[in-house]
Amino acid sequence: MFKVVVAHSNDPDSPSAIQEVIDQCLGDLEGVQPQAGLLLAALDFDHTLLLARLHETFPDLQLIGGTTDGEMSSVLGFEEDSITLMLFCSDTVQIRAGVGLGVSQDVAAATQAAVDQAVDQAVGDLPFDPKLCITVPDGLTVSGVAAIAGLKQALGPEVAIVGGTSGDQWNFRQTYQFFGDQVLSDAIVILLFSGDLKFSHGVSSGWYPMSRKAVVTKAKGALVYEIDDRPAVEFYDHYLNGLTVSGEYPLAVFDQASDEFYLRASNAWDREQGTILFMGDVPEGATVQITHTTCDDIIAATKTSIEKARSHYPGEQPAAIFLFSCAARRRLLGTRTCEEYELGQQSIGEDIPTIGFYTYGEISPLAPGGEAFYHQETLVTLLLGVE
Amino acid sequence: MNDSEAAQRIQELEKANRVLQKKLDRAQQGRLQIEESRRRAEAVLSATIKELRDSQNMLEERSQALEQALHDLQGMQTRMLMTEKMSALGVLVAGVAHEINNPVGFIYGNLDYANQYAQDLLHLVDLYQKNYPDPKSAIQDFIESIDLEFMKSDMPNVMNSMKMGAERIKEIVLSLRTFSRMDESEVKAVNLHDGLDSTLTILEHRLKPQPHRPRIQVIREYGEIPEIECYAGQLNQVFMNIMSNAIDALEEYFVEIQKGPNHCPSPPLVLTIKTELLEENQEVQICFQDNGPGIPPDVIPQLFDPFFTTKPVGKGTGLGLSISYQIVTEKHNGRLECLSKLGQGTEFIISIPSRQSLIQEPAFSTQTAESLETAELISSELLAQSDLVNPTVDQVELKQLSR
Repeated sequence: MFKVVVAHSNDPDSPSAIQEVIDQCLGDLEGVQPQAGLLLAALDFDHTLLLARLHETFPDLQLIGGTTDGEMSSVLGFEEDSITLMLFCSDTVQIRAGVGLGVSQDVAAATQAAVDQAVDQAVGDLPFDPKLCITVPDGLTVSGVAAIAGLKQALGPEVAIVGGTSGDQWNFRQTYQFFGDQVLSDAIVILLFSGDLKFSHGVSSGWYPMSRKAVVTKAKGALVYEIDDRPAVEFYDHYLNGLTVSGEYPLAVFDQASDEFYLRASNAWDREQGTILFMGDVPEGATVQITHTTCDDIIAATKTSIEKARSHYPGEQPAAIFLFSCAARRRLLGTRTCEEYELGQQSIGEDIPTIGFYTYGEISPLAPGGEAFYHQETLVTLLLGVE
Repeated sequence: MNDSEAAQRIQELEKANRVLQKKLDRAQQGRLQIEESRRRAEAVLSATIKELRDSQNMLEERSQALEQALHDLQGMQTRMLMTEKMSALGVLVAGVAHEINNPVGFIYGNLDYANQYAQDLLHLVDLYQKNYPDPKSAIQDFIESIDLEFMKSDMPNVMNSMKMGAERIKEIVLSLRTFSRMDESEVKAVNLHDGLDSTLTILEHRLKPQPHRPRIQVIREYGEIPEIECYAGQLNQVFMNIMSNAIDALEEYFVEIQKGPNHCPSPPLVLTIKTELLEENQEVQICFQDNGPGIPPDVIPQLFDPFFTTKPVGKGTGLGLSISYQIVTEKHNGRLECLSKLGQGTEFIISIPSRQSLIQEPAFSTQTAESLETAELISSELLAQSDLVNPTVDQVELKQLSR
């Protein structure tokens, strides 16, 4: 048995919203006890209150979650100021939550702690053999690349890692992660799935290189000092005419001597130093180009991501759909944002519980069985089920 | 509606109100973000358009440079082909000149003896006739059949014409050797007048009167010039190109005048060659002046462009003057100028330093610098001079001379 329910409320009032969500869940659960849950909430809610109410209702729930840049579900579709909750019930699949704190201080230790915690909570005599890890790291304090590296090290290569980093509605000040009844920051939360589980994933972006090619001549981690031996901001200034950098125009970072590239977005400039802090590592010596996209390209990529996940799904009918989409996509899609969610519904099944959020960075392998990568400007689709 | 329904309705309305209020706030923020996004998009668009424009300009420039390079390559390819041809032709000319020179030497060297022997034999016949006035009938019949009296009177003429013919062959052979200068691939001090004369000798056939025009007169106004250090063979090519162009122009001009409605009397066709030492510039000038039709002003700037020709298809390659220009300017640090006015003739002026201490080493592309036109000219001149080698013509010519 693997039962998934999803609830969604767009009531800006925290007590009313959480009550509405709990009521919806209780109605759909029909008395079945949920094992774990994923809560996604807009920034303006009283998150402590939300978690306290949930904890009162489901005291044993393995709950993780975080704040976002927009939520979506099969209940309300896409909403900007809402909370959405997905609950998992199963007697064949074991789900455990874990948390790592102070990730910006020591990401390896934090990720190891999160994994240890989840594994330690495995109960009974069932061997805990995780297959899938859904994670929500802090989207501002954590290097996505380092977080994935830590998780990979702690979990081993066999476990697929999928997820998205928490957001704060494009303010880029502070994001929150949820673990049980705790509201955290600078943390990484995980849900580990083990047992009789089927899943698949897909990822696609829709951004294409536009500017002239340049070489990163000085960089350390995610901080780029110089591009083509000039202060990094000058490279963007030439195109943005002095306007601040935005996730709409991420950098394409090319693998050596290849046309393949990954994207790195930034929202943090230091004009005095001429540096740009990206939301992911940019290696020194890499060839880069500023990219752009259109709404049509984004929607086409959405379709690609969903189709990839659907075609790779090893079973017949997934029980839940997860969509982790970049916040920059939402900025550009505007009123067409709902199409991302609708495409998932049309493509995979309208009656399948769906949950998703707009993130500051997406995590997934490129292909089934592959190791996870940190993405930006992408839509990561995850299908989960037992059938 | 009962109280609980009313309370629920109020709750719903309150929620709707909260949701709408929140959406309104978001809409305001969204609008600001869209405006900002639009400003960025506009900036990116402008920068990209500018880059595309720059890139387009750069591509156009590159395309022009490539076209030029292609043009230059074609020119070089043609020149290399010509180099091959001319190399072969030069060897042929030198070989023919050498091979003819020896037998002509036998003929020329033995003509005096042959003349002397013939005189002696005729004198012997005279003596026989005086001492035996009544020969037998068979001898008398043979004397009549061979017209001995005419033979005796014509023999000196035959010998003289043979001597003249042999002398002409020697002269032409010498001109061919001077012209081809196969032995002089390096800079050497030469008398330019010899080069001009040998070129004129080769062109003699074309200067002669033709059925459709009178003779082209050549006026040599040679000044006192020192021997000039130069690539003599190459300069001879230049002389050949300029003079044969002048002959073409004069011929066409004459035919045109004859066809004209006025039938005005044509002036004599004159090609004047002047040489002069310009002390102040330390240079020598060689001018070729014709009284032909002149060159239209719009054509003059293109005269030295490769492949430019006003001649009918198949008659000119358009390379003669461009290669001449290259030989004069690049190989001899000189100048090649054209002065022309419609109806007043054309003047080509070659100016080269009298001392070529700065002369360049021969570059690959101009190693021989003989043009296809020159190659064709020389071969046609050789054919025209074929009375030297064609036995039929030879006999006719000799008969004409002997009569």
